[in-house]
Amino acid sequence: MEQNKEMTAQQSLQLITETFNKSRKGILRNSAKYFMLWGALLTLTSLVIYLLWHLTGKPQWNFLWFAMPVIGYPAAALMGKYDVAVPQNEVSKMLSGVWRVFGAFAITLSTVAVFLVPMNVSLIIVIIMGLAECMSGVLLKNWPVIICGFLLGVCGAVFAMLVKSEAQLLVFTLGGVLLLVTGLIMKLQYK
Amino acid sequence: MFPKLDPLLHSELRLAVMSVLAGVEEADFTYLKKQTGATSGNLSVQIDKLTAAGYITVEKGFKGKMPRTACRITPAGQEAFSNYVDALKEYLSAGK
Repeated sequence: MEQNKEMTAQQSLQLITETFNKSRKGILRNSAKYFMLWGALLTLTSLVIYLLWHLTGKPQWNFLWFAMPVIGYPAAALMGKYDVAVPQNEVSKMLSGVWRVFGAFAITLSTVAVFLVPMNVSLIIVIIMGLAECMSGVLLKNWPVIICGFLLGVCGAVFAMLVKSEAQLLVFTLGGVLLLVTGLIMKLQYK
Repeated sequence: MFPKLDPLLHSELRLAVMSVLAGVEEADFTYLKKQTGATSGNLSVQIDKLTAAGYITVEKGFKGKMPRTACRITPAGQEAFSNYVDALKEYLSAGK
């Protein structure tokens, strides 16, 4: 790119639009890998706990959920460390905010359910997870993500009410797969 | 009478830098280099010019042990960029 090239008004506007869009796409494509990381981690954790609980009959395996943030946050930090520092725009900041709020609710409610007031935490978490997914779709202006979030929240809630004990964990496996799919959709959308 | 185009912004590389910075909170020098495809030397010179005009601010620091140069558009830069885009639109609509 040359600093002194003469440009027409048309070329200037085109340059602004192209640069802006290129940057926007790069930022959102970068966000996709975090959806994929958390999706993979959620799928794996829920399946491992489901299998261990199913095989041993011990619900105490649920404490393994607390390993998810312990692995996920350092992994996310490590992923960002080796990249060219990609900045944040308004959409990526709001996406990050939505999922941080979801994480705070999920961890706090799980802790309350385990130590203070027993509740159907799977039901609550799957609803707020569907809501977070829906809001991500609204921010990304992406209908498949909105529909996936809606289906996760509604179908997940029905499933969580109908099944008992370890089978409820499969709701989170579905949620993890949907997060992975969202990441893949973002990667394709912002290619 | 058409508004005069800001000569500082009417340059390919400076305009590209401003276009990137207008959409983000702040951006690293390495990111700007990647987005514009400019050489380090050329980009440095143009960033200095934009800084001198008060359109952007540059903050040098460290990210871990690596040196980091973060650029951020100022309110004056936002206004100049917005005026420049408005002027371009006027030129184009008059040409139709």
